[in-house]
Amino acid sequence: MLSVQGLSKRFGGVHAANAVNLRVEAGEILAVIGPNGAGKSTLLNLLSGLLRPDEGRIEFLGETITQAPPEVRAWKGLGRAFQIVQPFPEMTVWENLLVGALYGKPNTPARVAERVVEEVIELTGLTPKAQTLAGELTLLEDKRLELARALCTRPKLLLLDEVMAGLRPSEALEAVELVRRIRNSGVTVLFIEHLMPVVRALADRVVVMDYGQVIAEGPYDLVASNPKVREAYLGRAS
Amino acid sequence: MELLLQTIINGILAAGIYALVASGLALAVGVVGIVNFAHGEFTMIGAFIAYLLFVSTGLDPFLSLGLAALVLFMVGAITYLGLIRPVLAAPELNQMLLTFGLSVALQNIALLVFGADTRVVSTSYQGATLALGGLSFGVPPLLAFALSVVILGALYGFLDRTRLGLAVRAVAQNRLAPGLLGIETQRVYLLAFGLSAALAGVAGVMLSVMLYASPTVGFAYTLKAFAIIVMAGLGNLRGVVPAAITLAMAEALVSTYVPGGGGWVEAVFFLVIFVTLTWRSWRAA
Repeated sequence: MLSVQGLSKRFGGVHAANAVNLRVEAGEILAVIGPNGAGKSTLLNLLSGLLRPDEGRIEFLGETITQAPPEVRAWKGLGRAFQIVQPFPEMTVWENLLVGALYGKPNTPARVAERVVEEVIELTGLTPKAQTLAGELTLLEDKRLELARALCTRPKLLLLDEVMAGLRPSEALEAVELVRRIRNSGVTVLFIEHLMPVVRALADRVVVMDYGQVIAEGPYDLVASNPKVREAYLGRAS
Repeated sequence: MELLLQTIINGILAAGIYALVASGLALAVGVVGIVNFAHGEFTMIGAFIAYLLFVSTGLDPFLSLGLAALVLFMVGAITYLGLIRPVLAAPELNQMLLTFGLSVALQNIALLVFGADTRVVSTSYQGATLALGGLSFGVPPLLAFALSVVILGALYGFLDRTRLGLAVRAVAQNRLAPGLLGIETQRVYLLAFGLSAALAGVAGVMLSVMLYASPTVGFAYTLKAFAIIVMAGLGNLRGVVPAAITLAMAEALVSTYVPGGGGWVEAVFFLVIFVTLTWRSWRAA
């Protein structure tokens, strides 16, 4: 579904992404993990079009999108939710979702968009908050809105950036359930996460990054016991 | 009592044009994210368009509004594409220097072309008044006010009730999300900046009747528009109308009740900025 070849991005002298190769298969849930500063968020920004790479190629559903602006990627089916939520604070929850539904695919008729919003608002449990201003939501509701709005663009691949950060364990559990439901509805998911229990519970496959490079990938148990991964997280024994 | 009532009415009538200019500036600042010091020069261009059309064809300024709006939309769009878009990612100071430079350049071009004289569009109804009870209303201010209300109504209707308006509001409220949700942000910026200039231009047409056209006529309106959007909260489109009424009312009261008030009127906008910012920082502390 998504294929990344030799993707590099430098900020001054720092290689935030260094020749990253990555494949995402349709229908899977892929976790990208790694220590702080490993380049995970940079990777997501390169994939969603907020950053352009210095080198490398991104292919999505057989098309090269390396230089495409974010809106074109959204139209093709790339959705993105942020760790730090990015609502439209002076719009209601309903209007926030309507933006995603109307613009996520070009020329969406208003009736279709409204039906999409109705479905998503139900799925994400935001129905009671439909007429609340987004600026007045709790953090948990904000995170749901962030996810819901991305869903309204009808993505084929959803990029989630630490959407569980700051949630209580019970809330995280709910969120895990929600992500599963999203995948079961036919959306492929790539997520960044720091909470290992969440990664273990959700991911079909795990990619580990360190210093802008992919250092390991595979099923959770295999990756967790990989000495390179332990070194990246725990530091080098000298 | 009658004097007070008349003063209040004068204030409200003046607020229409203020709200037009300031709504335009609020679009530039709030949606495009550009502090546009040349905003008043769009007003000046609007005033000269009305003047030129009047002297060459006799067209009534209130009828040339649409044409002026169209021309200024194009001027705004070209300004955006040629000057603003290249500096969108630049530091704010650079952006401000650019728009300040544009303001000076436009004023001096107008000075070269038209000279420094003030030019009044003398319509037949210019001095006409309507009397109601003991109060009197100038016909041009009444017309300008009525048209401002219609135009502002259309603007807010567009923002609140249309698909494109939703995108404009989205871009004004968040920088990162709109593109990822499929909004063509560059187009929204272009539209917003064009609309911004068109609103300023329409106000300029009205000024050509109520005041005059001159190379520097717009500058005071840049300052007043800044006072209004500071009062409304930068980027808050909805707060512009009450803020415009507040400023216009304050000016009317000063002009009527402060001895030698006419001279102080031009300082009211500064007082408004000062009071607003001081009050906000107190409240925040």
